[in-house]
Amino acid sequence: MKRMSLAIIVLLLGTLVLSACSNEGNSASGTISIGTQTYSEPKILAEMYKALIEQNTEVNVKIVADLAASPIVIQAMKSNDIQMATLYTGEIFNNHFEVEATKDRNEVLKQAQEGFDKTFDFKWFDPYGFENTYAFTVRKELADQYYLSTVSDLKEYAKTLKLGVDTTWLERDNDGYRAFTKFYDFEFGEKFPMEISLVYQAVADNKVDVVLAYTTDPGIKEFNLQTLTDDKQFFPPYDASPVIKNETLKKYPELNEVINTLVGKIDAETMTSLNYEVDVNKRSPHEVAVQFLKSNGLLK
Amino acid sequence: MNPFFQYMHDNSGHLLSLTWGHLIMVISGLGLALIVGIPLGVICARNARLATIILTLANVIQVIPTLALLALLMMFLGLGFKTIVVGLFFYSLLPIIRNTFVGLKEVDSAISEAGKGLGMSYWQLLMKVQLPLSLPFLMAGFRVAAVIAIGVATLAPLFGGDGLGREIYSGLNLRNNLKIYAGAIPAAVLALLADILLGRLQEKLKNGPVRSKPIRTL
Repeated sequence: MKRMSLAIIVLLLGTLVLSACSNEGNSASGTISIGTQTYSEPKILAEMYKALIEQNTEVNVKIVADLAASPIVIQAMKSNDIQMATLYTGEIFNNHFEVEATKDRNEVLKQAQEGFDKTFDFKWFDPYGFENTYAFTVRKELADQYYLSTVSDLKEYAKTLKLGVDTTWLERDNDGYRAFTKFYDFEFGEKFPMEISLVYQAVADNKVDVVLAYTTDPGIKEFNLQTLTDDKQFFPPYDASPVIKNETLKKYPELNEVINTLVGKIDAETMTSLNYEVDVNKRSPHEVAVQFLKSNGLLK
Repeated sequence: MNPFFQYMHDNSGHLLSLTWGHLIMVISGLGLALIVGIPLGVICARNARLATIILTLANVIQVIPTLALLALLMMFLGLGFKTIVVGLFFYSLLPIIRNTFVGLKEVDSAISEAGKGLGMSYWQLLMKVQLPLSLPFLMAGFRVAAVIAIGVATLAPLFGGDGLGREIYSGLNLRNNLKIYAGAIPAAVLALLADILLGRLQEKLKNGPVRSKPIRTL
């Protein structure tokens, strides 16, 4: 017994020391970490920045992939575990700070840029040029059968339909399910929260009838799905931007220019096709990112 | 060859290092839980009022959804290894405390009295008589904790940690079932192995050093 507990203590101390060592080096020795959420889009963008930053500056980049959700990413930036990420303007409705209710794209962007600067000391760059928002999406057959083209068209059938959504949406306050049911004045029969990458397959396989898709996700194209127009404009805009700690920019001012090279360079169609390469054609985010940069003359 | 085994074979180095990382997280979390949980179990057995408080607290922790607990811990500990290990520690506490407590309570009071009669101090009685007698119970709790921890540790990548979850999430994102299997099957095998090995150890403890007294199981 004694020997066993001693062994455990030694092992523990060993691993803690090891982990402490490996965590230290990050921000000190010219390395920054870019965090990404679980889906492909931010991973591809992180790979692009890794390639660009390492080509143009002395800074090394580490990618921390698969973080659970955007609030986790922001928390990790606050605690300096990561220094940079891709975030979406609709994020401001996640209760980080007081915001004014608006659906205007520029107004939401302005609030994101000012709010994150003031509250967290992050620099929120201008958008890449694409929006990745939520869209209710159904199988083409179902759309044809019920003549669905807008979200309001769902109202009549909603009680009999099964809804598949990502795990966080049901709980989100301002643009989540409860707000949605009030806004559009109907509820779905059953709700199934799941990992976002599973919703497309689920609806294609008839496991659910309606899913809340991310608009730049190639699953929409791959499984021949139809998005429904948000006719009453419930969802806020979700323009994607690179976001970085001001502190990191101060330390490496050369990053400013490098980060700006992708601003305004990627539209929704381009992003969807890059996502398609990774998700459907199973290429690595790194390969897809590098190819995009090379074909646009941004990488040698 | 079966594409799954082909994949496992081609990526064996990577998968082994993920498995190793997984094990390190689990062992660290469980180790911490043993170090803290056993004394807490002993305290519970001695003092009924503290027992209610400690067991209730441990229960409350157990009730928090895993993702929420890890997200909360992340606020204080940051991304990565530490957060996951502390999360596993919290999740393993309850079975260890409760089973130490139950095990000590199950020790025949006649035996403890006999020990006292021989002039043993409280500490001697505890270390030489009561704890060894309750080891099978403790092991049962440890076994439950180990199996839970191996499962919970697959969530590590969501909070910047490593381990077999890395492969599972990568498979989920790329909709590559091979990768999902390559992460999930070794994790399941680890859990099964832990269950079997610790089960054997438990049997041994039951029959080994304390054969003199039949022990009721839970």
